Amino acid sequence: MASRYDRAITVFSPDGHLFQVEYAQEAVKKGSTAVGIRGTDIVVLGVEKKSVAKLQDERTVRKICALDDHVCMAFAVLTLFKGLTADARVVINRARVECQSHKLTVEDPVTVEYITRFIATLKQKYTQSNGRRPFGISALIVGFDDDGIPRLYQTDPSGTYHAWKANAIGRSAKTVREFLEKNYTEDAIANDNEAIKLAIRALLEVVQSGGKNVELAIIRRNQPLKMFSAKEIELQVAEIEKEKEEAEKKKSKKTT
Amino acid sequence: MAATFFGEVVKAPCRAGTEDQEEEEDERRETAEDREVRRQLARKREVRLFRRQTKTSLEVSLLEKYPCSKFIIAIGNNAVAFLSSFVMNSGVWEEVGCAKLWNEWCRTTDTVHLSPTDAFCVFYHLKSNPSVFGSCPRRNMQVTVLTCRHVTDYKTAESTSSLHSPFLKALKTENFKEPPCCSLLEQPNIVHDLPAAVLSYCQVWKIPAILYLCYTDVMKLDLITVGAFKPVLSSRSLKGLVKNIPQSTEILKKLMTTNEIQSNIYT
Repeated sequence: MASRYDRAITVFSPDGHLFQVEYAQEAVKKGSTAVGIRGTDIVVLGVEKKSVAKLQDERTVRKICALDDHVCMAFAVLTLFKGLTADARVVINRARVECQSHKLTVEDPVTVEYITRFIATLKQKYTQSNGRRPFGISALIVGFDDDGIPRLYQTDPSGTYHAWKANAIGRSAKTVREFLEKNYTEDAIANDNEAIKLAIRALLEVVQSGGKNVELAIIRRNQPLKMFSAKEIELQVAEIEKEKEEAEKKKSKKTT
Repeated sequence: MAATFFGEVVKAPCRAGTEDQEEEEDERRETAEDREVRRQLARKREVRLFRRQTKTSLEVSLLEKYPCSKFIIAIGNNAVAFLSSFVMNSGVWEEVGCAKLWNEWCRTTDTVHLSPTDAFCVFYHLKSNPSVFGSCPRRNMQVTVLTCRHVTDYKTAESTSSLHSPFLKALKTENFKEPPCCSLLEQPNIVHDLPAAVLSYCQVWKIPAILYLCYTDVMKLDLITVGAFKPVLSSRSLKGLVKNIPQSTEILKKLMTTNEIQSNIYT
């Protein structure tokens, strides 16, 4: 049945599916895994870095992008897309223009929710136009608003968006989300360092080659965006492994 | 002829029988050139068996040369990676032959550089226990087939978002009496291509055979998908063949890095 109703975006199937949109969601799963966590005073975005070809300039392969930086660097909106790279670039450009346009018109920086809604509306338009295909991307958008509250939003190719406390997109997103459901507790995000460790632990569940293939970015309240260097990530990974060993030692002591 | 909503023209099948008698006559008049082309194609499509190291062809059928009790076949890069790292690293496996074949769908004719995950068929047998491997039917033999399929091919009444992929499903022939190490493949799912051919052959010739099919959402070489085959290690067909599991995981990781295809399309 699917094959008769999945060739055009503007056609519903008899049981109410928009197959092109659902297939676009499969494209998202082809990207590597990404995770976003909203702490009390911090937001964390982590992504699995695919190995870059030898002759490729690594600088041009950036996954985490800033959509907006406020003048005094107090607020920023960060985003991370998974799916078709080219689609992501186009949407990021439109979103950045919208952030500036909003600032010029209303003299206030965008709220995270506003820009998420903008991106989601843009994606939805492409699911309702003839001759176009949906954007094959999901986004995780994080930032702080004027009121100092951290936010994390996720959008998908159909144009829906939701706020999350922690979420994962891309390949094996379900495994990571289950890990987060088990481990996202008030203690886990009590302080910033714990939130960062939770993000790295979630990624390590599915990343195939350990800490050196993880890219991490954080924003703390009233501070500018910080991208972690490879060394800093290694340090965090080492700490996590030490904690794991200690937890296992305790467990074996209890059983003996 | 019929037109559809999108402007494509679709030829409607005619239930009255063949329409044009003239077309048939034209087709029957085959020239010598057509026959020559067909002969060349048939020669190209022959399956050739040879030894990779010496590049000599094996005239004697592998079937008679190596009778065996267990035949394990892995189809697809994840299944092959699983077999290479978990089963073939324990014990010494000797390569006894390679099957080279070509048809119009092959994208490459390069048979010189083969990696463990390429789409050709290499036959190995265990040196210490030569009764493992072979393909002689009608003897006491058990066949195990491992393969992968994309999870979107899996038809189920429950919502697909609740599926925990990758997951394993089994399909066995009538003569296979042992319990499989995962649940059986439910209807209306069907198996395609080579695994289906192998199972059908085994069912017809009453050979006990089992197919382990891994439904995954990542079709290229992936650690988690290969890991989904691990329950098969406890089955009787593979028991005794696997000794060193931590080392296997290391070998698997190395396979991943050497075979990683860089793609910039998906971020």
